[in-house]
Amino acid sequence: MLPTDDATRATERPAGAPIAPAPGAAPGLQAEASALRPTSLGRQAVQRFMANRLAVLSLLVLLTLIAMAILANLLPLIDPTASDPYNQDSFPSRQHLLGTDASGHDLFSAIIYGLRPALAVGIVGQVVATAVGVFIGVVAGYFGGWVDSVLSRITDLIFALPTFLLAFLTVAVLGSGWDTRFGGSGRVVLITIVFGLVGWPPLMRFVRALTLSFKEQQFVEAAHSIGTPPWKIITRHVLPNTWGLVLVQATFGIGGFIYNETTLSLLGLGVQPPNPDLGSLVSVGAEHININWVESLGPAAFLAVLVVAFAFLGDGLRDAIDPRGSE
Amino acid sequence: MRLLSFVAKRLVATVFILFGVAAITFFLVRLAPGDPVAAQLGQHAGDTATYNRLYHQMGLDRPLWRQFLSYVWNAFHGDFGTSVASPGTPVTTIIGQGLPITIELGALATAIALLFGIPLGVLAAVRHNRIFADNVNMGLMMALYSLPPFVIIPVVWLVFGVLLKDTIFHLPVTGWQGLGDPHYWLAPSFVYAAGLAGFFARSMRSFMLEELNKDYIRTARAKGMSERTVIYIHALKNTLLPFASVLGPTVAFLVVGAFIIEQEFSIPGIANITVQSTLSNDYAVTLATTLVLAAAVVVANALTDIFYTIVDPRVKL
Repeated sequence: MLPTDDATRATERPAGAPIAPAPGAAPGLQAEASALRPTSLGRQAVQRFMANRLAVLSLLVLLTLIAMAILANLLPLIDPTASDPYNQDSFPSRQHLLGTDASGHDLFSAIIYGLRPALAVGIVGQVVATAVGVFIGVVAGYFGGWVDSVLSRITDLIFALPTFLLAFLTVAVLGSGWDTRFGGSGRVVLITIVFGLVGWPPLMRFVRALTLSFKEQQFVEAAHSIGTPPWKIITRHVLPNTWGLVLVQATFGIGGFIYNETTLSLLGLGVQPPNPDLGSLVSVGAEHININWVESLGPAAFLAVLVVAFAFLGDGLRDAIDPRGSE
Repeated sequence: MRLLSFVAKRLVATVFILFGVAAITFFLVRLAPGDPVAAQLGQHAGDTATYNRLYHQMGLDRPLWRQFLSYVWNAFHGDFGTSVASPGTPVTTIIGQGLPITIELGALATAIALLFGIPLGVLAAVRHNRIFADNVNMGLMMALYSLPPFVIIPVVWLVFGVLLKDTIFHLPVTGWQGLGDPHYWLAPSFVYAAGLAGFFARSMRSFMLEELNKDYIRTARAKGMSERTVIYIHALKNTLLPFASVLGPTVAFLVVGAFIIEQEFSIPGIANITVQSTLSNDYAVTLATTLVLAAAVVVANALTDIFYTIVDPRVKL
């Protein structure tokens, strides 16, 4: 036997011994050893993601916007519902960073507070939809048979329903009744629930297909053959293999939910005035476009950045996590 | 035979789904606050005898499921009741006024989107991984696709409504004068088409890339065929089939878009009628218009599936 290549040497290493070179080795060898250290799949994905400048930038922008929306109360912002009678339809100034709207509300602070309903519905709604979709998908895919048939038909039915129309009708009918619930944020809760309940079928189909393919593979067969209970196979062996791809789908979904939420608020069904909401800020501001164009283009720019950043982030995540599937 | 049974099954499923949509919308609207009888009577609502008579006439004293069945039965016969907001007008008349406008606008937008989206998608695939032809182009298309159209609308108004006000490029920001007057439909149809163009371009790029990597393309090139013939005759022709699969999503996209475009440009289409009817608690109209729009989406999806299975026998049934 010729112990020349690294792989053979590695097998001779006693179990548990560090790969680090022996003490006193030359510094050049140390560098070589760290270069040879195998990178995990996760680390490779992170490296691929970090190399995508557009996606990293999108992530940073999103984290900033989310932090500002959450911490809006702590930031030195003017109360978005307070109106300044001396400044109406005003252009950006030192006092009002982005000027004011027709009622003298500070536009910048209205935008930051207006991010809240959009982000809440987008992120929380998508988390609900993802949780429901993953659960039903993995159960249908793993157990198969009649369980799969029943769950798949239900999914087909809900998938075929036009999501936006259902959300529109539900909020139009029930919205005013929910306004006072949950400390005044009932409407956001209602919209989140509706999107969460009708938005899961794509994820269910996706996870079901993944589960079906994993079920045929040997690691699941092996776990099954040593008597691992089904729920443990699902949680330990199947789900950990799906989370990356699910994350990609969910990121794209958030942008879609924000699209629909802001459309509802454009139609007057979102968060009610005087509480700010991005969609209604754009459409109300647009009525004054010949007086002050910042009023509509300001919130429109924030909304555009928000939605496009989620799309680019999703694209970057997909390229990083599933490099072969992206072409 | 399997094909026939597939088509039959799909059609039955479609009817079933439409029935489900009708049920969900019907019972949802029944949860709405407000009294339809009082709304109909207006100032005469205090008269108990009239109230009870109308209550009975409208069938509200019957069990809910019987009301639903008679609603479905009447709807099946083209009777959606009468509007409350404009008393005495049959709902079908209102739909008949709005639907053609929505269809015209949607068709225009689809045509514009195809005109721009397909060439841009083909360009990106042919010049794969080039900075401008592919990366920048597709980044822009992705942005257009994910942006809600009402983000673009203020920009259009600012440019064509305010800045170019006294030039020949001035466009009115609201209203609808039919297809005869392009001043009114240019802005809404282009804004409407923007997202769809992004969707078409991105779909086209991926279909085209898939075709270009196939063996028959390599054979065609090896035979010495000109690049133009390879791309525009061979590859492009074969992307038409997968491209048919975007029909379903397109109609769903158009329906959401109609709500935005008709609202912002004050176009009296069916989506605008739907929004107005919810504001005036005119639920007979809301029910009917929602059902019509939902039916468009559901039927488009079914047709896509059926068409695809007929033309491409490789699709698993």
